[in-house]
Amino acid sequence: MSAITTPRARRGTARSGITLSRRAGMVFVLPALVLFSIFIAYPLLTALSYSFFDWTGIVRGGFVGLENYVTLFTQLPYRDDLPNAFVHNLLLFVGAMVFQNTIGLGLATLLHRIRRFKRFFQTMYTLPYLVSPLVIGYLWSLMLSPLFGPVNAVLRAIGLGELAQPWLGNPQTAIWVVVVVTAWQWIGFPVLLYGAALGGIPEEIDEAASIDGATAWQRFRAITLPMLLPAIGTVSVLTFIGAMEAFPIPYALGGSQGNPAGATDVMSLLFYRTAFESGSSNAIGTSSAIATLLFLFIFGFSMLITWYMRRAERKLF
Amino acid sequence: MRRRILTTTALLAGSALLLSACAPSAASGDGAEEGDEVTLKVWSWRTEDVEAYNRIFDVFEEQHPNITVEFEAFQNTEYNQILTTGLAGSDGPDVPMVRAYGQLQPNIEAGQLEPIDDKVEGLDEFAPSVIAGAKGKADGKTYAVPLATQTLQMFYNKAIFDEHGLEVPTTWDEFIEVNEKLLAAGVTPMALGAKDDWILPIFSDIIGSARYGGSEFEEKVLAGETDFTDPDYVAALQLVSDVQKYLTPDVVGVSYTDSQIQFTSGQAAQFPGGSFEIATFRNQAPDLEFGSYQVPVPDGAVLDAPVSPAYADGNFAVNTKSKHQDEAFELLNWFATPEFGQLVADELNQFSAIPGVEYEDEVMKEAWANYEEGQAPYLLLVDFRYGEPLGTAVLGAEVQKMFLGQTDAAAAAAALQAGISQWFTPGE
Repeated sequence: MSAITTPRARRGTARSGITLSRRAGMVFVLPALVLFSIFIAYPLLTALSYSFFDWTGIVRGGFVGLENYVTLFTQLPYRDDLPNAFVHNLLLFVGAMVFQNTIGLGLATLLHRIRRFKRFFQTMYTLPYLVSPLVIGYLWSLMLSPLFGPVNAVLRAIGLGELAQPWLGNPQTAIWVVVVVTAWQWIGFPVLLYGAALGGIPEEIDEAASIDGATAWQRFRAITLPMLLPAIGTVSVLTFIGAMEAFPIPYALGGSQGNPAGATDVMSLLFYRTAFESGSSNAIGTSSAIATLLFLFIFGFSMLITWYMRRAERKLF
Repeated sequence: MRRRILTTTALLAGSALLLSACAPSAASGDGAEEGDEVTLKVWSWRTEDVEAYNRIFDVFEEQHPNITVEFEAFQNTEYNQILTTGLAGSDGPDVPMVRAYGQLQPNIEAGQLEPIDDKVEGLDEFAPSVIAGAKGKADGKTYAVPLATQTLQMFYNKAIFDEHGLEVPTTWDEFIEVNEKLLAAGVTPMALGAKDDWILPIFSDIIGSARYGGSEFEEKVLAGETDFTDPDYVAALQLVSDVQKYLTPDVVGVSYTDSQIQFTSGQAAQFPGGSFEIATFRNQAPDLEFGSYQVPVPDGAVLDAPVSPAYADGNFAVNTKSKHQDEAFELLNWFATPEFGQLVADELNQFSAIPGVEYEDEVMKEAWANYEEGQAPYLLLVDFRYGEPLGTAVLGAEVQKMFLGQTDAAAAAAALQAGISQWFTPGE
């Protein structure tokens, strides 16, 4: 008897707010579910199905199986552009990781220590992150212009004229400009995230270690860094997704062709060109194939990072 | 009871959201048909010309009191998608402005445009290379009326030429001499935005069209008698490489808009570009005195007189799904008349595709006279944008590499040939 009444009684006492039946709950979930299905799941699945067909403009032709995918690896310009763009995406990811986990983490650690102006500096570092990446891109392309740009002018003014160069015109420097500008814009993000994570580490542990005679570096290596691992994992996955989908900054700096001579080309630009600029009849087929490949890679690799980070965390705690 | 109310509220909220998600986007009626009154919807990517087009259509409406033309312009870069969606649905334009040559083919292949061969008069008046921009590659039918012609030539700053005692060059040696003198005087001879690859095939044709043979070469390439590795074409690309010293140092870092500022602010003496620049230059620098000339013929050139490469830019077509076919064709017929051509010249400051139009603007008059004397196709746009990769895109990147010292003329020509042979079979 009591076994039956207890839950009821608990339910009665817990009833400070509202209890919903399953059906009513579903009704509340429904709007979000419908929107998600219409705007995310449906386009995703249609893009997948599109990539298996031959297209004439927007008229769907016959089922061609994997032919669009084969085209990507065997025919010009995709045969050359795809690996070229893909490597640049990886560079963007590696570059962003290096910047965020050295400078970003360093800044967050320093900011964690100071009391005054902490908010001010946090805001300053986060500011570029709040500006549209297209604006950032065009701003930097103006700054780096060999004709009117202040960057070269400053270099010449302080006697470093030899370093002045057409930053965005030289394929060797252009991709690094994209990497650095992207990292520069994003730096506020890890500063915030790491800052929050640092705030969550109990000070007692650090104190205990310092009483035991651990140096600042030892404390950072053995305590702070391991406890930041979940945050590092999150930042890594988000950075990876951001780098693979990079579009506005490369577009603003190098145009849709990834100028000069494909040096700043990335996967999203290749997709954009194929889908909207090629004028090719089968644009929908090939571009859907690119989109599908890109999605599968991002999805798969993100899962891999998450899985790896989870395992590392489990070992720790 | 309370739960009941909650469920109802939730259901209501949910269905309201659903409803708003499903609501059709602003259903605009396709012209209320009262009696014979018809409203034709015309779409275009020329957002900057809306007022001018309204004035042009006022003339048409006066002559055709039963037809009202509703002109709508959309962002140029998004127009292709907007048009494709519009033509696929039931709410599209009756008369859309469409792209030319290869970029027109997807609309034709999707069956979205009406063939106009027997329904529009005066189509045989257009130059062959211009009307080619309105034809279906596969069936050879005409699908649109050409709107404008763009000519490519060298613009020059008259004040700078006067200041340094320079004349418009008539031989290749004089052309080199002009550039050398400007260089020695510390003026950038030519402004070119080589960071934007699309301008480079234009530059190559301005410099080299006469060298490789203009339309003569076009015929041979299309017939398969030669290809882009032809010594004459390689020599034309070599000229492009030779004149690099007359461009800004680090030219591949200069963007197209930067190069326009270079010219309009007087930092550079010449600007190789299309006739579409004239209106821009007039806007940016109303006081700028400039003219244009055709780059002279170098030694060993196939042609013995200089040419202006040109192409058709924009067409008007009829939507297959239009409910007002008769009126739409009435408008299309008007687009093919000299009256409309003259309005294009006067109101839009463009070269009309229709022959026999007079130009008021001095610079336009001069450029048009030059073009009438020596014509050539802007080869890669006119004939080699029908498949992937686009001829213009391949050569653009190759010329960049050439300027960067990563390739030479012969290798660039070979790469162009390799790219094009992906989809192009001669004689088809």
